[in-house]
Amino acid sequence: MNFGRLEKYLAITRTQLINSAAYPLDLATRSIMIVLFMAIFAQLWNATFRAMGQTTIAGLTLSETMWYLMMAETIVLSKPRLSHTISESVKDGSVAYLLNKPYNFLLYHFSVAFGDGLSRIVFNALAGGTIVWLAVGPPPDARGIPLALIAIGLAWLIDSCMTAAIGLAAFVTEDVAAFDWIYAKFVLILGGVLIPLDFFPDWLRGIVQSLPFAYSVYGPARLFVSPDLARFATLLLGQVLWLAALATLLTLAYRRGITRLAINGG
Amino acid sequence: MKRELTFLLALWKANLLAAMEYRVTFISQVIGMMLNNAVYFIFWIIFFDRFQQVRGWTLSEVFLLFGVVATSFGAGVYLFGNVMDLANVIANGRLDYYLSLPRPVLLHVLASRSITSGLGDFTYGVLSFIVARQFAPDTIARYVFGVILATIVFIAFLTLVQSLAFWIGNAAMLSQQVSNALVTFSLYPITLFEGSARLVLFTLIPAAFIGAVPAEFVREFSWATLAQMIVAAGALLTLALFAFRRGLRRYESGSAIQVQL
Repeated sequence: MNFGRLEKYLAITRTQLINSAAYPLDLATRSIMIVLFMAIFAQLWNATFRAMGQTTIAGLTLSETMWYLMMAETIVLSKPRLSHTISESVKDGSVAYLLNKPYNFLLYHFSVAFGDGLSRIVFNALAGGTIVWLAVGPPPDARGIPLALIAIGLAWLIDSCMTAAIGLAAFVTEDVAAFDWIYAKFVLILGGVLIPLDFFPDWLRGIVQSLPFAYSVYGPARLFVSPDLARFATLLLGQVLWLAALATLLTLAYRRGITRLAINGG
Repeated sequence: MKRELTFLLALWKANLLAAMEYRVTFISQVIGMMLNNAVYFIFWIIFFDRFQQVRGWTLSEVFLLFGVVATSFGAGVYLFGNVMDLANVIANGRLDYYLSLPRPVLLHVLASRSITSGLGDFTYGVLSFIVARQFAPDTIARYVFGVILATIVFIAFLTLVQSLAFWIGNAAMLSQQVSNALVTFSLYPITLFEGSARLVLFTLIPAAFIGAVPAEFVREFSWATLAQMIVAAGALLTLALFAFRRGLRRYESGSAIQVQL
């Protein structure tokens, strides 16, 4: 597999970022969803904390819960969406157009998707952050931002490996929509997007926290509200291990998929 | 009326036969959507496992809520699938095809496409209602009636929003966001929302009439709830028909050659 030089992929990401930034209104409109979710969560968790009569539940205050959810939503709503792009290029045959270019097919899609994601994350974080700030005040610890950003980069790579693998399933099943929906819901639940994993029953929490979904959402979002170096180091180690495993599986799936490719016409 | 019904049945039959041509895709979409909803519901199971109830709502009430919302959403997008794409149909000049035929335009556009995954939503909704264990005959009758009215509200409201394309051109993104908001809000207990947020859910984004109000009606009969649902469905349907007809007068064909498959 020819990965080539990293600069060309950075150039692709940069180009895509500029493309997306050319339509700020479109990006702002896409941020409506995070505003809605944060408005609902503010009501739900406010009512829940009040009903429980506690300031802390499973180690999280209301403010930490809301900022955690804001970061988790930002990660998920902004993340690269590779499954649809890749499955479409497999179905319509445009994969053949990219295969003979001097770059790796998967890394090309990763780079484009990251460019899109970077432009979305700014708008989502601003929109979601504003709602949460108004509801519960400022973020608990600003030192969490740089650590979380590093973790989000790795989280997106883990997620991209899984969604790219779903996209490549189009070589076999053609339509991958159903896999995509179910994967998205796994991320919502097992990644801790709708409810922090800290609130899960004890027997389930241990299992869920070791899955890649947790490393792609829960880990960075939790680090954002409780930043400390020990947590950061543990998270990073887990992310690197999952990334290595998933990238290997993806490469194998890609090689097998290419052997099944049949292009009709030109 | 009978003519229109026969026409609708013919369209739905044609849509079903077309979808069944690709059986694996058909089945995967239906089962996939059911699994998708089931995985989403795990959130509420985990939530109520820890917190038992929130503002008077328990897991049983949420099962009932999902029973109403998923069934009406599924019925809506399966029977009138183009309601999710009407803004694009208008903006891209694809109404030409429907205008040239001697059938009611709006009915024809909406029913000429079925979203297969809607059958998965529909089935999941029915299963969710069964899990809520409300088996009394009058409860089942209220469930059917509530779902029909919720479906009308859903279709009418989306038609109204998507008809904005006649005036503002590309309303697809706006429609998508509004539709997401409608479904998202309808799946949460209404008691969470107070003041202006609650007012919005009964008016601008009428999510309450797709979820909480019909679910309340299924749980317990009340003339007030029934009247609310009928007025909401009637008003939105009237508004949607009015907006579409007014918009149609502004419609300009792009003279694009379209092939209707």
